[in-house]
Amino acid sequence: MFSTARTVLRRTVRPLSAAASAPRLHIANPSLGCSRRRLLHSSMVCRHGGIDRPEPGTGIKLTFKDSKGNDIRTVEANEGDDILSVAHEYDIDLEGACEGSVACSTCHVILQEGVYDRLPEPEDDENDMLDMAFGLTDTSRLGCQVKVTKEFDGMTVTLPAATRNMFVDGHKPSH
Amino acid sequence: MVLKLAIVGGGPSAFFVASRLQKLLPTSNFRIHVFDRLWSPHGLVRYGVAPDHPEVKNCTHIFDKAAEDPRLRFFGNVNVGDSLSPIQHTVNLPLKSIFENYSHVVFATGCTLPKRHSELPPSEHCVSALSLVHWYTQHPNSPAPPQLNKLDHVSIIGNGNVSLDVARMLLTHVDVLRKYDVPERVLEVLAESTVKHVSIVGRRGPLEAAYTPKELREMIELPEASMVPLDPELLKVPEGLKLARTQSRAIQLLNKGPKQLYGTTKKTWSLDFYRSPTGLVLPTAEDPRCHLSLGHTMVNPTTQRAEPTGETTVVPTDLVVTSLGFHGEPTASFFDPGLGHLRTLSNRVITPQGTTLRNVYASGWASTGARGVINSSMMNAYDVAQTIISDMENPPAIEEAVLNPEPPLEDIPTEVKQGIKQRNVVQYDDWKKIDDEEIRRGEVLGKERERMLWDQAKNFVGARA
Ligand SMILES: Cc1cc2nc3c(=O)[nH]c(=O)nc-3n(C[C@H](O)[C@H](O)[C@H](O)COP(=O)(O)OP(=O)(O)OC[C@H]3O[C@@H](n4cnc5c(N)ncnc54)[C@H](O)[C@@H]3O)c2cc1C
Ligand code: FES
Repeated sequence: MFSTARTVLRRTVRPLSAAASAPRLHIANPSLGCSRRRLLHSSMVCRHGGIDRPEPGTGIKLTFKDSKGNDIRTVEANEGDDILSVAHEYDIDLEGACEGSVACSTCHVILQEGVYDRLPEPEDDENDMLDMAFGLTDTSRLGCQVKVTKEFDGMTVTLPAATRNMFVDGHKPSH
Repeated sequence: MVLKLAIVGGGPSAFFVASRLQKLLPTSNFRIHVFDRLWSPHGLVRYGVAPDHPEVKNCTHIFDKAAEDPRLRFFGNVNVGDSLSPIQHTVNLPLKSIFENYSHVVFATGCTLPKRHSELPPSEHCVSALSLVHWYTQHPNSPAPPQLNKLDHVSIIGNGNVSLDVARMLLTHVDVLRKYDVPERVLEVLAESTVKHVSIVGRRGPLEAAYTPKELREMIELPEASMVPLDPELLKVPEGLKLARTQSRAIQLLNKGPKQLYGTTKKTWSLDFYRSPTGLVLPTAEDPRCHLSLGHTMVNPTTQRAEPTGETTVVPTDLVVTSLGFHGEPTASFFDPGLGHLRTLSNRVITPQGTTLRNVYASGWASTGARGVINSSMMNAYDVAQTIISDMENPPAIEEAVLNPEPPLEDIPTEVKQGIKQRNVVQYDDWKKIDDEEIRRGEVLGKERERMLWDQAKNFVGARA
């Protein structure tokens, strides 16, 4: 199933939208643990089809948990992969509606305090999008903006609470 | 149990419901038919999201994927319901046909009408922000273009994100906009613009403003327009008041001030807080300008409402743009006039009599009202998909049945079949051809895309068939 997603995304790569967002291009210090930001749009689109899975036992381990703290899956990633791509590769239920261009906040994840604190601070535009995320916590980040590094081997990534019936007009959900 | 679902409306919430069902139901024996009165899919993503926010439109790749699934079909240019379609060329599909042909229905019809201000009747000098959005996105409603070559001062009433979208379009140099998805004829009007100042009027203060920090930042960073400095008093936060994260970030931004110093740019803009329109005097033979009366207000700390102080300022202006939110169509079935959208309870539609209808749901702005971004519409849509599935597993007891429990899976309503024969219905394959062609035409012009009008799209698809 996932390979279909990848081909769909590849097929729709549009160099022109890269041109359109180019004026906002802005690359942060690549040595930081945070993903290089705003790489050319088109390459972001490609990337978010997935990553190359490392040979089992050789990659950096990440455990995804649901909002209740239950393990979903432990997976392996490469140095430099961002959390959204890793999630997509292993079919974890994390959206990425704007494909990593910091325009949607559907890739919101919650990190452990120790990991969060060691990451460089989110930039303004990531903060702008976090403002719109549901279930924001003090250790929330956008999955598309956080790069996996060896330092964080064994880290846990928690998906935010699915907000059920958040708009129902003053009524309690029935289930 | 059969699942043959009609989704009325083809905006983000429709496609997010569909993609969630496709993901959660691995079987092949269900069908989803999406109908939109617009000939193209994606609702406000195509006809709402500002052209200089191309990244937001990346979510259409998710919608494309949902549409590639053989269990989904899209029928554009089909108006569903029993009242007259606002667009002349649509195929009309009465609700009765939906009920006869489907086992389930989701209303994802959005909130398509602008809220009006009681003191500001629409006229050529007072238009809704939505009509400007429809103009610059070439929406099939095709409103008259604004006469930007005759304006100097524009007043936008309301300070949500849509207000700021319109303000950015008016304050950004046309050459910056050329590379985006802005139709050529819109660019022509923008190129002639003489707008010098955009005033953004809000009833309450900086803490209550509806825009989000992202959009405020874009205003503050505009390269060619500067903000009229705010009275520092306005940015003082009452002692002991705990600010929400968005509030403190917005205040920080305003404290930082604009990138371009006031006085150094030809164009300017202002946030005019604590002002509420009390009347508009239209131009006369002697005086070519409008005069907008703004009552001064203060926020009552207990009720949080804006209350008049009794003072009034009269502002000469050339165009008033009302941007006060949106509501659903009062003629739509299950519309609740009190709410301004459909009445739902846990995603299920409630009739005016207060009963639940079996397998009738609403999603997105149709159900929640016009608030929130695409992210919130997505979360809501996922929840609706979950409700549909759990109702199939455990049908709730209290219900009236209006749909066909056993419709033939592949059938499409006669009216739509007829429309397809007459080449009046756009299916997703047609749309993808149009989409590719719009992008190709855009490439020739060095821009993201050049949009087609209905006649052009219809001819294009007809010629290729
Ligand atoms: C001007 C504007 C700019 C925005 N910009 C952003 C942004 O930058 N980022 C962001 O995240 N969000 C943005 N939003 C919000 C976002 O567009 C909404 O959250 C989202 O579109 C809601 O989705 P929906 O499917 O409920 O409604 P809609 O997108 O409105 O879709 C409803 C669809 O139903 C169709 N319809 C209605 N009645 C009928 C009928 N009787 N028969 C057939 N079809 C019918 C309509 O034609 C429409 O296509 C913006 C909204 C507006 C108004
Ligand atoms: S994918 Fe949209 S903000 Fe990360």
